[in-house]
Amino acid sequence: MKKRMGFGLVLIILVLVGCSQADPESAGAELRQIRLPMGYVADPQYAPFYVAVEKGYYAAEGLKIEFDYSFETDGVALVGANELPLAIVSGEQVILARAQDLPVVYVMEWFQKYPIAIASKAETNIVAPQDLVGRNVGLPGFWGASYVGYVGLLTANGLTQDQIAASDIGFNQVESLLSDQSEAVVVYINNEPVQLRSRGEEINVIPVTDYIDLVANGIITNEETLTNDPELVRGFVRATLLGLRDTLADPEAAYEISKGYVEGLDDGRLDVLLASIDLWRAETPGLTDAASWQQTQATLLEAGMLDAPLDNLDAAFTNAFVTEPLPQ
Amino acid sequence: MHLLRRLPNWLTILISFLILLLGWHLLVMLGGYQSFILPAPLDVAQQFVLVMRDGRLLHHSLITLSEVIPGLLIGFLVALPLGYLLAKSPLAERLISPYLIASQAIPIIAIAPLLTIWVTSTYWSRVLVAALVVFFPVLINIIAGLRSVPAELYDLLHALKATPLQIFRKLEFPAALPIILAGLKVGATLSVIGALVGEFVQPKSQGLGFLLVTARYQFKTDLVFVILFTLAAIALSLYGLVALIEKRVLRWQT
Repeated sequence: MKKRMGFGLVLIILVLVGCSQADPESAGAELRQIRLPMGYVADPQYAPFYVAVEKGYYAAEGLKIEFDYSFETDGVALVGANELPLAIVSGEQVILARAQDLPVVYVMEWFQKYPIAIASKAETNIVAPQDLVGRNVGLPGFWGASYVGYVGLLTANGLTQDQIAASDIGFNQVESLLSDQSEAVVVYINNEPVQLRSRGEEINVIPVTDYIDLVANGIITNEETLTNDPELVRGFVRATLLGLRDTLADPEAAYEISKGYVEGLDDGRLDVLLASIDLWRAETPGLTDAASWQQTQATLLEAGMLDAPLDNLDAAFTNAFVTEPLPQ
Repeated sequence: MHLLRRLPNWLTILISFLILLLGWHLLVMLGGYQSFILPAPLDVAQQFVLVMRDGRLLHHSLITLSEVIPGLLIGFLVALPLGYLLAKSPLAERLISPYLIASQAIPIIAIAPLLTIWVTSTYWSRVLVAALVVFFPVLINIIAGLRSVPAELYDLLHALKATPLQIFRKLEFPAALPIILAGLKVGATLSVIGALVGEFVQPKSQGLGFLLVTARYQFKTDLVFVILFTLAAIALSLYGLVALIEKRVLRWQT
């Protein structure tokens, strides 16, 4: 009898525990779960998205965002295959994808300025692109946004790659520069220069964006989602723009919110967010223009990453969702 | 089926490959897959011709091969004496084995980036990754091979007053060789994986790993397939080479 009662009690407890586990879906049954590939690890530069979640902007659009910190190319492929509706990627990825018939469309330009730059120690006097001729420049690799930015900078200044001794140094730009293995390195303007300056190094920085306007990080969707579910895109873009607006207005508050999303984030990386904010400001946030797409495509052709221009480059992007006024 | 059994090996393999190609083609056609998800065999063949013509495939394949072979040899040559020590000395086994086994729980993809920092040479860091991947399976086979020698044969050689070196040369090594070579065959295929992991972590714009990264970056899935087939061909070739050595060295068995 006692054994049966004990067994029954255990069974009841198990059932109650099972029922008490909040069904992850049921808590926000009215919210649509969206997995969003971010293209990089959790980082304070994603503050606009964290702010938009925290302030309920996505929820107001009926969306529940799950941040997915997988590779950028995976995000593009998943959106292209309509496995996911949205992703955050760099602009050149869209052109490369569409060249392989992936039907992705860029719907919001988050970074208004391309984040790639050339950094060097102040004493080397590399202050303009022409100063790179004959120098040893380290790149993370001859692929990716860093390489695209590097080629764009050279092309825009009438330089060719064989005028510069470029080498593949992996993601060791800071070490390579400090140890003088490289005279200059290709960096993300909101990352390595911040690290170098925090170590007391005096550096020169040549932003690619000062010489050529390339399409930078933004939000993509696919043609099927645009046709069948434009409200999803509209709602997501609207909420993201609100998060961006609030981040620009109060970066310190946005950084505090980011601490809840970036494991181990202390106060020491606020400069990363502040450096990123300079890249986001625009008269019309989110707007992308045809000229920058043309320049990006030309750079990809020059870099040998694209075999031929796209038949219809204009189909790669739309501003339909960023020109609507935002709620106050 | 009776007819297939009578055909020469190479023809049977060719027929099975053609059936595979046909099945793949039908899958793409009937499934309506876009080329960036699953390219058709013809797309892959066209891409193969392209990268052969411009020399990229051969160039990067030779670089990967230059890491694979030294990695395989180093992994084997380090495993051989250590395997002998662990097989013959219970004390050494008790002292060293726990750390060796624990090391296998650490994914090579986690160690590889550290190696590229500790070993300043990109080439040798990649070779080291390949050697690490080969090392443990080969070591296990060496130990198993040496321990498989029947005790009565030891008794015979001791009765004949054989020295330890004679025992090793005349008994242990020949007796263990079949199992050791079986381990080397496994190691041959693993060395390709090891070299690829090294190239993923430190692309240095060279090798099939770098080519794979750029193919993925440009969404050229057909090129990804070409690279995968090339890697398989390299692994099969190395396996076949070891099998040939095995056939030659172990001809006393037949």
